Amino acid sequence: MEEVLKSRSGDAVKKQKVKNIIIMLLPIAALVVLFAVYVAIILANDYNLAINLETIVNQAIVLVLVATGAIFIFTLGSFDISLGASTLFSATVGILVFNATGSLLLLFLTCIAVAVACSLLNSVLSSVFHLPMFVMTVAMLSVLTSIAGTIITTNSTSAGANPAISVSDSVLRDILGSVDTVWFKVLILALFAVVCIFVFNFTKVGRRQKFLGGNPVCAKMTGIPLSVYGIIAFVMAGIGVGLGAAVNVTYTMSVSTGTASDIGMSVFIAIVFGGMPISGGARSRIYAAIVGGFSYIILNNILNLLLSSVDGRYGYVQIISAVLFLAIVYVASINYRVKHLPR
Amino acid sequence: MGNLINKHQLKNFGVRTAGTLAVPALFVVVIFIICAAQGVMVLTSSSLFADFVCYAAIVTLTTFALSINLGSGRFDFSLGSMATLSAVASAQLTYSMLGGGAGSGIVMLVFSVLIGAVAGAFSGGLYVILRIPPIITSLGVALIFEGITFVLTNGTYIMSEVQNDSMTLFRTQWYLPAVIILVALAAVYFLFDRTKFGYDYKALKEGQKVSINTGIREVPNAVWCYVICGALMGTVGFLQAARNTYISTNVLNFGSISVMFTAFLPMFIGGFIGRFSNDKVGYLLAGLSMSLLNSLFAQLSLIGIIDSSSRAIVEAVLLVLFLIFLNNEQTCRDLVTGRIFKKWAEAARERKAAKHSREDK
Repeated sequence: MEEVLKSRSGDAVKKQKVKNIIIMLLPIAALVVLFAVYVAIILANDYNLAINLETIVNQAIVLVLVATGAIFIFTLGSFDISLGASTLFSATVGILVFNATGSLLLLFLTCIAVAVACSLLNSVLSSVFHLPMFVMTVAMLSVLTSIAGTIITTNSTSAGANPAISVSDSVLRDILGSVDTVWFKVLILALFAVVCIFVFNFTKVGRRQKFLGGNPVCAKMTGIPLSVYGIIAFVMAGIGVGLGAAVNVTYTMSVSTGTASDIGMSVFIAIVFGGMPISGGARSRIYAAIVGGFSYIILNNILNLLLSSVDGRYGYVQIISAVLFLAIVYVASINYRVKHLPR
Repeated sequence: MGNLINKHQLKNFGVRTAGTLAVPALFVVVIFIICAAQGVMVLTSSSLFADFVCYAAIVTLTTFALSINLGSGRFDFSLGSMATLSAVASAQLTYSMLGGGAGSGIVMLVFSVLIGAVAGAFSGGLYVILRIPPIITSLGVALIFEGITFVLTNGTYIMSEVQNDSMTLFRTQWYLPAVIILVALAAVYFLFDRTKFGYDYKALKEGQKVSINTGIREVPNAVWCYVICGALMGTVGFLQAARNTYISTNVLNFGSISVMFTAFLPMFIGGFIGRFSNDKVGYLLAGLSMSLLNSLFAQLSLIGIIDSSSRAIVEAVLLVLFLIFLNNEQTCRDLVTGRIFKKWAEAARERKAAKHSREDK
């Protein structure tokens, strides 16, 4: 009898393990399918595959860099909606420094330093004054957007109605152009992802952050300080934002008030698309940002191609991608249903 | 004994009144000082006063809507998109029926409330069916509503549909938005403070599991909360259309979300006032205070002292300062009374004594 019970419970554990692996691989499988569909559509329409793939990388890279750093914040069960504003502000300061010095290194260092400073201000103020993090980031969103807007308007190099700071010097444009390649961007992303994976998976930082996100009370009682790991999370997010801002400058060679305006919210979509719960905790994964970010951008591009002749297609694209987003989250969360409504 | 009770009641009444009026009074005093220093005046004409009431209505109703779900731990990013969608759909519907003629305003208001309520029901329905965290559902819903708004208008501005005499009344006659505020306040107060639905809502807010175990039905309660939020945001969409005389519909990629950020500061101020009286009254007083501040900003921008960027920074700083006060109230009180210095001195003495005792050992 005992043996039968043991084998039954063993089967159940095995089944659960297989189910968990399938759910874990689902986002990656979805990315592969989306990529295959995208390539098929490009080839069927005789479009240039290389150019279109480059477009995908250019569109996704900033989102993926920012989202990868933001995983550390989301793991704690917290979130930062000022990431887009922080990207805009860092890019604004970065482009001013680049226009003045012509140094690529200074562009990257400035963007990272400004973004980390903004992130630190968020986390330090909230931990010193015991402020709720999300409200702090709401305030930061307004402040950073307004300051960046003022800087852009004052230093605008465009004569039109939309103020923007551009890199107009041809020598400086050549310098930016030299790094505006897919390989350079992929290298930046790979390096940052390796650092994040190392910190997240092979040091106590990641383990403790998952513990804090999963059960903050228990983690606190075992002596893990939320403030310290909160600051580390915001620093990592700041580095991602800084890299995203610098890469954005190398690609667009200009910064306007609309730069990265949707990044803050798209990060949520990317992370959830990548199979990570927004509540953080033990199921947090660094790769979720990369997989989810690329999936989201490829999906939007597929829909744009399919609906290219429809009036108001951008609206339809957004509706369909939102429905798919909700459907994917629904399927991915089937295993974690609770009796009462989630909050 | 009777005298004692009267004294106690009187003191209690005094504290409650002072607590309720403290923040609005502070706003009035500070604004009066700034006006005197800069040589400007606020609310000097009937049109400025009407704009003040209209903006107060927008802020108050958005704060009601935000606080309903946020108070229960349901973060709702779709509020702004509900307002825009209801305004656009109701404007198109009304214009197709009345062509901007007499009665357009009131008909559009009714349609806007109804469409908002339907949008809220859709949002709430999706949340209870999918059973995924409301923050994620609201992101999806916001994208869907923004997409529908774009499809309805192809991303262009809605102008002629809302520029008519009937709509102008809601912008120029102060009593119309004032009536909207009073009706909304009465409805929200009645629903949340005087009905079984409201009691259930409060019970679920304070203890979800215990409430469900005692037989309270969470699903219909949550859906009704979303319906009420939708109706409120529909009204906000209508008021914004009347005040701006156009509706901007190019709100794709979360362009509608900023609407909810305007309600954070009044929500926290309202919550603070609510400790002394009623939170709904608190939201109204906070809405009036924010609108007064908005009137001041408008006057200061006319003389070139402040622009929209500085204004956003001031509002964000006010939000942070108020939150610092709320979350460190005892420390602030000690700082004002000077008790904090005594505490520091005591702590220093204790440290010194502990050091001496360690050295003696």
